[in-house]
Amino acid sequence: MDIEQKQAEHIDYFVKQASNQKGPALASVITEATSHPSLFAFSEILSVPTVLELQGTEHSVYLELLRLFAHGTWSEYKSVADRLPHLLPDQVLKLKQLTVLTLAETNKVLPYEGLMQELDVSNVRELEDFLINECMYVGIVRGKLDQLRRCFEVQFAAGRDLRPGQLGNMIQTLSNWLVTSDDLLVSIQEKIKWADTMSELDKKHGKEVEEKVEEVKKSLKKLKTVSRPTLTSEGTRRSTLKVE
Amino acid sequence: MASSSSSGLTFKLHPLVILNISDHYTRVKSQSQLPLLSSAHASNGDDSAPASSVLASAPPRVFGCVIGVQRGRTVEIFNSFELLYDPSTHSLDRTFLEKKQELYKKVFPNFYILGWYSTGSDAHESDMHIHKALMDINESPVYVLLNPSINHAQKDLPVTIYESELHVIDGIPQLIFVQASYTIETVEAERISVDHVAHLKPSDGGSAATQLAAHLTGIHSAIKMLNSRIRVLHQHLLGMQKGDIPCENSLLRQVSSLLRRLPAIESEKFQDDFLMEYSDTLLVTYLAMLTNCSSTTNELVEKFNTAYDRHSRRGGRTAFI
Repeated sequence: MDIEQKQAEHIDYFVKQASNQKGPALASVITEATSHPSLFAFSEILSVPTVLELQGTEHSVYLELLRLFAHGTWSEYKSVADRLPHLLPDQVLKLKQLTVLTLAETNKVLPYEGLMQELDVSNVRELEDFLINECMYVGIVRGKLDQLRRCFEVQFAAGRDLRPGQLGNMIQTLSNWLVTSDDLLVSIQEKIKWADTMSELDKKHGKEVEEKVEEVKKSLKKLKTVSRPTLTSEGTRRSTLKVE
Repeated sequence: MASSSSSGLTFKLHPLVILNISDHYTRVKSQSQLPLLSSAHASNGDDSAPASSVLASAPPRVFGCVIGVQRGRTVEIFNSFELLYDPSTHSLDRTFLEKKQELYKKVFPNFYILGWYSTGSDAHESDMHIHKALMDINESPVYVLLNPSINHAQKDLPVTIYESELHVIDGIPQLIFVQASYTIETVEAERISVDHVAHLKPSDGGSAATQLAAHLTGIHSAIKMLNSRIRVLHQHLLGMQKGDIPCENSLLRQVSSLLRRLPAIESEKFQDDFLMEYSDTLLVTYLAMLTNCSSTTNELVEKFNTAYDRHSRRGGRTAFI
């Protein structure tokens, strides 16, 4: 959540710049925005009307570039690289960071192989350096690097800009979460009731056993008064009658 | 007398102060009841007065001083101590106050006297005298008022902080009390003790069932809070989708990053560890039960042998019923 705070002022700045300028000047604004080291959110800039006007003009490539930075990955860029303007090394870095974020969207455990492929990195050392320096220290990703299993466990990843369809998915996930937690609440309440009833039953059982013990003790004392010769059926009948 | 304060000072209150005031009040109240009632009645001071009408008409008011630090516009109240109140002169014992102040200064050199406290349901006129008396120590003292009557419907703390302001009433500039808002600020030690009090478990290690029930109740309330927060988020997103609420991208990004953390614990390693610990616990419980059973059986066998010993001369016992 602190990423958002850090970005907030940059976003405001760029939105202001974008709305003040038009046409070709916007190209330089977009380039500046996409190479800025702490800015990862572009949907606000995308929604500025002057930027949207770029569609269809000769500078629409920059709009496409901005859209790619908002939603796309490094491999997507490579496939359309000839159409888009050449990227500065800062922009390349940022696009790779955003790629990591997108990958973290789908899986929580990212294997090194997949990461190396997506990011065009050839050895593990470079990959780990990239992840540590560019992603974790910046704060967009938090997780554990497992070199033995050659994977990267993501615990937290900053959000990327939303595609229009993703809102529905998010609402679905939220309602699932709600349903699960409701069920959990109900089952916890049942458990509490169960614990209470079991303890009640236990106490009752204990009391019953104690009462029986008391009865037996009393009957023993009464039987002691019955002397031995009366062990005839008469005597036992009398003694049992006394107990009842 | 109270409207909202306009001085712009932010107040931070530590729980220690609230505990001190309530402790002071409780002690005074229970001490004043003991000589009056015939039976030793250790009453909980925050309850309303018991049915015996021997008690004084109103619960006693206690007074004291609050100390803390003022940095710029933030007033942080750390601690408090008690003072003697002289009902005849409607003022606090000055020499005692100064002596205490000196002692506290030695231990806490940073703390200054920020004001005073009292108990009751509302501020009184006579409080202004005390307030003015303190104004030579601190030009704008604060007045912390604790309401000791328990109101179950009230969700907030019954503590109010008043400041004094100079208002013109009927052409005469007068000092009146105005209410100020405050926040509770805790040090780690305070948080631990407040947490401890809040989670009072059956202290004798009751029966396992009551401890289990208490633990589950705690979890239940925590999940309930989480549930209500998720519900709020859900409604908000639904509103955004429908278009009632303007889309706020930063919020959506945060929500998406949050949702991506779900399911939070589903890796294979977790399942393995969890199941192992579960079966370990079950095994240990089973083993304990078995040991218990075997020892009980052993006792029974010994008793049986003692009772039905063939070589005993007592023979001829009646059958066990």
